[in-house]
Amino acid sequence: MMNARWNGRVEMFRNFLWKTLGFVGYTIQYGCIAHCAFEYIGEVVVCSGPSMEPTIVNHDVVFSERMSRHLCKIQKGDIVIAKCPFDPHMNICKRVIGLEGDKVCTSDPSDLFKAHTYVPKGHVWLEGDNLRNSNDSRNYGPIPYALIRGRVCLKLWPPHSAGTLNGSPTRRIIKTQSDSDSD
Amino acid sequence: MERERGKETEGIEVEMFRNFLWKTLGFVGYTIQYGCIAHCAFEYIGEVVVCSGPSMEPTIVNHDVVFSERMSRHLCKIQKGDIVIAKCPFDPHMNICKRVIGLEGDKVCTSDPSDLFKAHTYVPKGHVWLEGDNLRNSNDSRNYGPIPYALIRGQMLLKLSLLSSMGPLSSGEE
Repeated sequence: MMNARWNGRVEMFRNFLWKTLGFVGYTIQYGCIAHCAFEYIGEVVVCSGPSMEPTIVNHDVVFSERMSRHLCKIQKGDIVIAKCPFDPHMNICKRVIGLEGDKVCTSDPSDLFKAHTYVPKGHVWLEGDNLRNSNDSRNYGPIPYALIRGRVCLKLWPPHSAGTLNGSPTRRIIKTQSDSDSD
Repeated sequence: MERERGKETEGIEVEMFRNFLWKTLGFVGYTIQYGCIAHCAFEYIGEVVVCSGPSMEPTIVNHDVVFSERMSRHLCKIQKGDIVIAKCPFDPHMNICKRVIGLEGDKVCTSDPSDLFKAHTYVPKGHVWLEGDNLRNSNDSRNYGPIPYALIRGQMLLKLSLLSSMGPLSSGEE
């Protein structure tokens, strides 16, 4: 009788072990699929900080799509999410003012003498829409294109300003000959 | 009777097509599923890399195959002297393989060893200073400055080439 009880317990334990392994297997499987969806399709991001006002304000929820970044279709005027060059755990949300080879203005709009620089190969120049309160390429220089994570294409929250985002309000983007040809 | 036979044949063809469609969808579904698992394995565990170029001689020569693990990078355990693979700051499609000479806050020497006057700089926050082992033939942080830590993809663990010596990679001589 003791043997039967012991066998019964071993059987229950084995069933429990298999069920747990099966559960863990399914979790890993669907975790990987979800991870790849966030990596290649897009992700929902909660923004914080004042550097993109009035386009994006504190606590806005946006959807950032990944395809443009992987297909290298990020353009001047796009709002992108990138890894912060000074903190690998933080992300920044800014507007692309210049791509590689473009001329960008590095001086304040209020300065008398304008200073310009050219964006080096493989880099982008980012600026926040709220020029007075934004820590961006004017402070730390152009950042490598590889740090860009995705392009913000839709605002999801708050509902009264949800939808596509406006163009740059700051008029800092210098249009080149090729831009006006393609328009 | 002929009309019935015609309808039967059509019914069988539709059935075959539907089976084929389901089998194809099932196959595509499995491919996506295991593709995602494989992608996550390469992303979080490690990947096999074929190196090219002379900038890491004699440690790694042209056409060497190495295994690069990802966990150190995700857990921020990259240390001075590690050989890392990073995205090239000037070409987002290329990768570079160099040794970490300095982490954020470290003092690094920016002048040639042959220069009379030594120049030093401090690595800024969130950046690393990379140099190739083959100092005479390497395009690295001495040319383009420190690169952001976020560009690092993984740390080299093992050399896998059959022709050259297999085994763990040696740490740098300072």
